[in-house]
Amino acid sequence: MKASPDSAGLLGRLARGHSNELGLLLAIVAVAGLTTILSDAYREKPLQNAEEILRQTSLLGVFALGAAIVIISGGIDLSAGSVIAFSGSVCASIILALAPVDESGNAITSDLGVGVFAIAIAATLVVGFLIGTLHAWLITVVGLPPFVATLASLVGLRSLARVYVQEVTAALTTTGKTTQIYVNDEAFSRLGTEWWIPLCIFLALSLAAWLLMSRTVVGRHLYAMGGNEAAARLSGIRTDHLKWLAYCISAMSASVAGILYTAEVGTANPQVQGRGYELNAIAAAVVGGCSLQGGVGLISGTMLGVLFLRVVIDAVAKSVKVGADDYEGIIVGLLVVLAVAFNELRQARRGSRKQFFPGALGLVAIGILSLGAGMLATIMAGRGAGSAVLAGTLVLLGAIALVERRRAGDRDAGARLS
Amino acid sequence: MRGNVSSATTAWLLIAATSAALVTGCSRSPGAGEDPEGASRGTKRIILLTNGADPFWDAMRAGMQDAERDFDLASAKLRTVMDVNDGTPKGQVDRLRQYANQSDIAAVAVSVTDAKNVAIAKAMDECQRSGIKVIAVDSDVDRKTSRRSRFAYLGTDNVVGGEELGKAAAGIRPQGGKYATFVGLKGAANAIERIEGFATGAGNKFSQVENLGDDMDLSTAMKNVKDALDRHPDIDVLVGIWAYNAHAIAEVVKQRGIRDRVTVVVFDAAPKAIGHMADGNIDAMIVQNPYDMGYRGTRLMKALVENDHDTIHEMFPAYDPASHSFSEPGGDTLVTGLRVVHPDSGSPLKADMFAPSTEFLSLADFKKWLASHNLSGS
Repeated sequence: MKASPDSAGLLGRLARGHSNELGLLLAIVAVAGLTTILSDAYREKPLQNAEEILRQTSLLGVFALGAAIVIISGGIDLSAGSVIAFSGSVCASIILALAPVDESGNAITSDLGVGVFAIAIAATLVVGFLIGTLHAWLITVVGLPPFVATLASLVGLRSLARVYVQEVTAALTTTGKTTQIYVNDEAFSRLGTEWWIPLCIFLALSLAAWLLMSRTVVGRHLYAMGGNEAAARLSGIRTDHLKWLAYCISAMSASVAGILYTAEVGTANPQVQGRGYELNAIAAAVVGGCSLQGGVGLISGTMLGVLFLRVVIDAVAKSVKVGADDYEGIIVGLLVVLAVAFNELRQARRGSRKQFFPGALGLVAIGILSLGAGMLATIMAGRGAGSAVLAGTLVLLGAIALVERRRAGDRDAGARLS
Repeated sequence: MRGNVSSATTAWLLIAATSAALVTGCSRSPGAGEDPEGASRGTKRIILLTNGADPFWDAMRAGMQDAERDFDLASAKLRTVMDVNDGTPKGQVDRLRQYANQSDIAAVAVSVTDAKNVAIAKAMDECQRSGIKVIAVDSDVDRKTSRRSRFAYLGTDNVVGGEELGKAAAGIRPQGGKYATFVGLKGAANAIERIEGFATGAGNKFSQVENLGDDMDLSTAMKNVKDALDRHPDIDVLVGIWAYNAHAIAEVVKQRGIRDRVTVVVFDAAPKAIGHMADGNIDAMIVQNPYDMGYRGTRLMKALVENDHDTIHEMFPAYDPASHSFSEPGGDTLVTGLRVVHPDSGSPLKADMFAPSTEFLSLADFKKWLASHNLSGS
């Protein structure tokens, strides 16, 4: 018996339209639920833990949104971590320059007015805009691939920020060159430490990004450019302007994150600030459903992707207790691979059957995957379980490879006959 | 952008199940958080939070483990664990906030990454508000602004340590010379204090030409030594401020064959540094006692958890149990000892060149002490 379109109802239509997001939401609930069972912390301090997860999600989410928009438009931005460090340095240096000085000539950054912060934040956003513009110029006019243009910023901006901070501190303090700038103002600190402030900023930016991508012509053009840039250009879309917009959004969102991270730790320290964060943002966007080939992805998916990553990372921290970051990389890496493989599988279902283990490359891949699974199982449950998982994975993947090869053989035979 | 509902949901549930399996598996893995298999339910943790990864912390962990046995932490339902920070203030803030949100942590000893960083002090305050006892070891908070963020500090007086290192350089090279200092993070409080102390101890016949930070990357540390020698071929003294800098300096000196014209003095005795001194590539090591920091730190944390005022008063005579405060300004600091270690033969250094409280040891005697505690470095 077939259900009529009406009987499916609004919820059914919503679920069909956002199947990926619904799945992510269920996954978040499942992992959080398991952590509640495994760890006392969620049961004894539920509010504090929820607030901390939302705060961490928001800090990462702010610049993951920018990364997602660039990815959807068919590009990649590797510079976010360095833009965070540079923006934080710019923001702190302006605060230092505008702060009153004590008798010895050193800035007092502990009790500043709103005006100082407004100027520092506005100037930092302008810097973000300029960095995005530089990326767009390098990509559209000079002709550098986005990977190269933003890689240059990844390396160069952090170095520039380190020199900049030393020069600024030499000029504005009596202590001479130092490698970091401290901002001790309580109100500024709250921007990064009060859980609801980063959350409100994240939600506001998400709403703006959603409106742009889902409710405007510009958003549709960004999807079109990401899907097929040449076709978009031939159909009259000004792709250079769209790239300018995408890279500016990405750099400015990283600048916002730079301000929030500086506020959170009360220090602009470009040596270590934001190191490696660009990969977290890309991972969140990919887990949220963005395809690195462009043209695919949703803002709501990215938001949930960030939340899912933070929930899993927090679950590891609560369960492992100490040294959780040793495991964090394994889990985030695995989730990214699973999410991308899942997207590939979905696309393969629509077209011809995809062969995952073709030829000699496929055989070596089976060996690598089996060894990886065996190692992971050994770490978790000991040598016996590791050997069993290794053998099991080898047999399972070997069987899949055999079936794939038989089907490929049948297809070739069919093609020859026809 | 759109997909089949059941396939997408099933796939994500599979990913969730994988995550759940990983989380569960990680929590039960033999090495996870040094959680001994027999750790009974209700046992609370005493954590040492380092500033970064370094063999230096192995000695402190050994001290903690010995204290755990000697003071019978198991019967008090306590156990010790070490958590290695990534070298960044944010890493330390995140970990401290994570502790505050856990329910099985009794006490934390923090080696503060950046003394002036208010966020770290605030995160320590947050832990205290959650009922966790907090002390500082090895590297303290800014005592002017954040003294109350920890109960007390146990560790080296880094200014004095720097001075002793400077005296060692002056003892080996009385004619003075140019020196370069090498460190992980130039902004770290212990780095600043040691470098200042070195200048004082070495005296005005010495002048600094470089101070290079390597972000705790050994490869960069070696490159820094090479760059400094290239820029200033007339450098006379190479000074290692953090433990691993000793290896970077000695290795470059060996590679370039310049041992006969440069003096090498370093902080700490990392296993590789001990080997380099035995090979004649290091002239003096100022060695802290992380083992003692770990041992006494664990004893103090247990006493704090159990409100054992007698033990606290024994360790800190200025502590007043009635008011829970210290009667003297420096009464909340317990300075652990320093040692000067010199090569077994041919060193011009003499014990009377250093402060009376500093132990003066040959490399052979120092190795015997290490062996007695089953340590490879300190």
